[in-house]
Amino acid sequence: MMVGVIARNTFREATRDRVLAGVVIAGVVLIVSTQALGPLALGEGTRLTVDLGLSAISLLGLLIVLLVGTSLVAKEIERRTIYNLLSRPIGRPAYLIGKWLGLTSALWVVAAALGLALWTVLAVSGHAGQALVVLEAAYLASLELAVITALAVLFSALSTPVLSALYTLGAYCVGQWSWDLREFAHQFPAPLGAVLGAASNLVPNLPLFNMRALAAHGESASPAHLVIATAYAAVYCGSLLALAAAAFESRDFK
Amino acid sequence: MQAITGDREDRSVPDRAPAEACAIRTVGLTKSYRHPWTGKVVSGLEALDLEVSRGEVMGYLGPNGAGKTTTLKLLTGLLKPTRGEAWVMGESIARVESRRRLGFLPEQPYFYEYLNGIELLELTGRLSGLTAQDAHGRARRWLGRVGLGARPQLVLRKYSKGMLQRLGLAAALLHEPELLILDEPMSGLDPFGRRDVRDLILEQRERGTTVLFSSHILPDVETLCDRVAIVLNGRLSRVATVGELVSGSRQRVEIRCTGVPRGEIAPDLRHVLERRDHAHETVFLLDDDSRLNHVIGLLIHAGALVRAVTPQRASLEDLFLAAAGAAADRTEARDEQRRSA
Amino acid sequence: MLLGALPPRVARMAGAWGVAIVLGCAAYQLADLAARHVPRPHPLEELSYYPSGEKLSLATLGHSDSFADLAWLRAVQYYGEHRRSDMKFTRLHHVFDILTSLSPRFIPAYVFGSFALAQEGADFAHAEALMLKGLEANPTSGRLAFELGFLYYVRPGGRDLPRAAQYFEQAARLPDGPPLSRRFAAYVRQNAGDFIVARALWRDVAETSGNRYLREMAEREIRKIDQARATGRAELAQKRLSTPTVVIRPVR
Repeated sequence: MMVGVIARNTFREATRDRVLAGVVIAGVVLIVSTQALGPLALGEGTRLTVDLGLSAISLLGLLIVLLVGTSLVAKEIERRTIYNLLSRPIGRPAYLIGKWLGLTSALWVVAAALGLALWTVLAVSGHAGQALVVLEAAYLASLELAVITALAVLFSALSTPVLSALYTLGAYCVGQWSWDLREFAHQFPAPLGAVLGAASNLVPNLPLFNMRALAAHGESASPAHLVIATAYAAVYCGSLLALAAAAFESRDFK
Repeated sequence: MQAITGDREDRSVPDRAPAEACAIRTVGLTKSYRHPWTGKVVSGLEALDLEVSRGEVMGYLGPNGAGKTTTLKLLTGLLKPTRGEAWVMGESIARVESRRRLGFLPEQPYFYEYLNGIELLELTGRLSGLTAQDAHGRARRWLGRVGLGARPQLVLRKYSKGMLQRLGLAAALLHEPELLILDEPMSGLDPFGRRDVRDLILEQRERGTTVLFSSHILPDVETLCDRVAIVLNGRLSRVATVGELVSGSRQRVEIRCTGVPRGEIAPDLRHVLERRDHAHETVFLLDDDSRLNHVIGLLIHAGALVRAVTPQRASLEDLFLAAAGAAADRTEARDEQRRSA
Repeated sequence: MLLGALPPRVARMAGAWGVAIVLGCAAYQLADLAARHVPRPHPLEELSYYPSGEKLSLATLGHSDSFADLAWLRAVQYYGEHRRSDMKFTRLHHVFDILTSLSPRFIPAYVFGSFALAQEGADFAHAEALMLKGLEANPTSGRLAFELGFLYYVRPGGRDLPRAAQYFEQAARLPDGPPLSRRFAAYVRQNAGDFIVARALWRDVAETSGNRYLREMAEREIRKIDQARATGRAELAQKRLSTPTVVIRPVR
């Protein structure tokens, strides 16, 4: 119940933030304006719209996490608003999970809004049949945003707003290179190669949530892909939030 | 009620949860901070042994940096103790449940700027275990009770410091806690606001709520508290009723006269009598009221006209400062002993 | 039970660490599983052949297809600008190389790029390389195989009939190969003098085509081949093919 109260309040905080509204508007404008580029794309206008639209969901979502998510906990500590929460009968893990759930919900609303805008633009240009593909890609992008938000909550619980934004961005970059890291690992001899291989499994495997290449060609993701991605997002988020809870438990609020 | 001083060495306190008569009980509660780079340890609170009975109002006094806020934050779970234990309403402070029957007002409360008064009180009510409906009803009531009901939709970004203080009180009282912990509840308030807070505290006392509050405004502490605990340099210096603290001291008397001839004070009175000459009168301050009749007799005999005799009761501030001085002397003596040992 | 013996705070921390480790291990295993079952957005061995493309792809942080789209717009503009002006396409190869490294499955980029390079760019070597790169990244693309076959067929300065035939046949075998792949293969084999293979291909067309005209055409070619073989006069079945040159008409 406490998780729900915190989540609802965090959702309210995120949606009342002008950043979110600005980002959604920017995203819709971007998606609609891809239609203007269609004539220049020599027949590849649909691919362009799908690619840029899905990239917008992912990158604008990342922007929201960096601007809003990284100060979720850190700013509360800095501004001391956290005193009024943690002096009540709410456990610290419940507080962190509520924060994560609230912002993730807001991000999923953003992803749904932009996904709907994308599908509308495609439907208007005669490609309504891409609905399932766009839905799958937007779903995977939403899972990616949930993982990035969990990273932001972890860093925000440990550090200042600015540093936690930098750490989150760093983890995002490393995560996008995780599969390349795995390939690099094969080129090195045993001890280093094993370490790199292990590291590639430990960092967030964000390419797992990337089906933009498939979606741009109108191809669907396999059921196995969707199941593995969902399971991975769930356990990885759980692990990050548990780590955040462990670190947060011993934190003093002077 | 037994007075507990920080000097007591033997502590035969059983290591178990206390009886239900205590609202707050601490045993050896200590908080120290270790610098992450140098490793140097700084003590915030040292071996606090304190009991606050149910239904009493206790004032918690100390200069800045004495450990008052540290104590209150330890009791409310915002800080983790380095050593020792404490119980709030029978529950160990290590458990989340200890905060269920507690209402806390931090010093200079900060709230979410994007919420309005009603929303904030509803949130805090829900977090204290109220249902949504209950929280909503009480939020409206308490907002009015603390004088903020006229504009319930006003966002907190636009609240003044005094308004935030009042809102913080409402948030602390909304769920009808059995124990109130207030850190400087009068700070930021004008005299009217301070009067309202005093009335609130008295009202809570009538209800049987236990109140522990820290304050610099000593007259308020004198009028509200059953007992006072004084903490200095992280250690509990003294706990006693206000009456015990004040009545044990000698009373000063102020004597206002006119027509007092010039001259020196008699040698036997020099250490208790002080003379201050003003333009139209002379004021004598007598430290020992047992010699009042003798002094008045001398003044009349010298031809002076005694206009007024006013007893000057030693204030809590005087005692506080005296206690602070005595504690500093004791600390120095102890350190001296250690050095010579 | 063990946690119950610990002080509450320590128990909570230990519990949180325990959950983090268990879920972390599960995530580790799932990451490994995903690497084996989920297709990569782009293969590394592809990128390692083109250093610039590899660096760029890593910098796009998973958004390489969007960057490829922007590069496509740039490539089309580049082609158009120089087509209308100086007809110099020195950077065309580089632009399409980057584009296809970013998005290896972007089939039209290979096709457009290769023919632009071969024709206006007068750079058949790079055109061929680009198309081969496309086939390596998309081995099941019948369309690419057909286009590569056609590229060899219209090679400026001299048609490469054996290679053209090879790729037309490959296209014919692939599910998305254009239907005319088989008869193109037959035609090219025939004109290269490979009558046996050509006849087999024409027989296939005659038996399987749904178009009467195509079936009749196939039968005619089979008769020509049979006659050529019987008389020893190959010219009866072969056409004299011209040498392709690049003819670029100015854009008005």
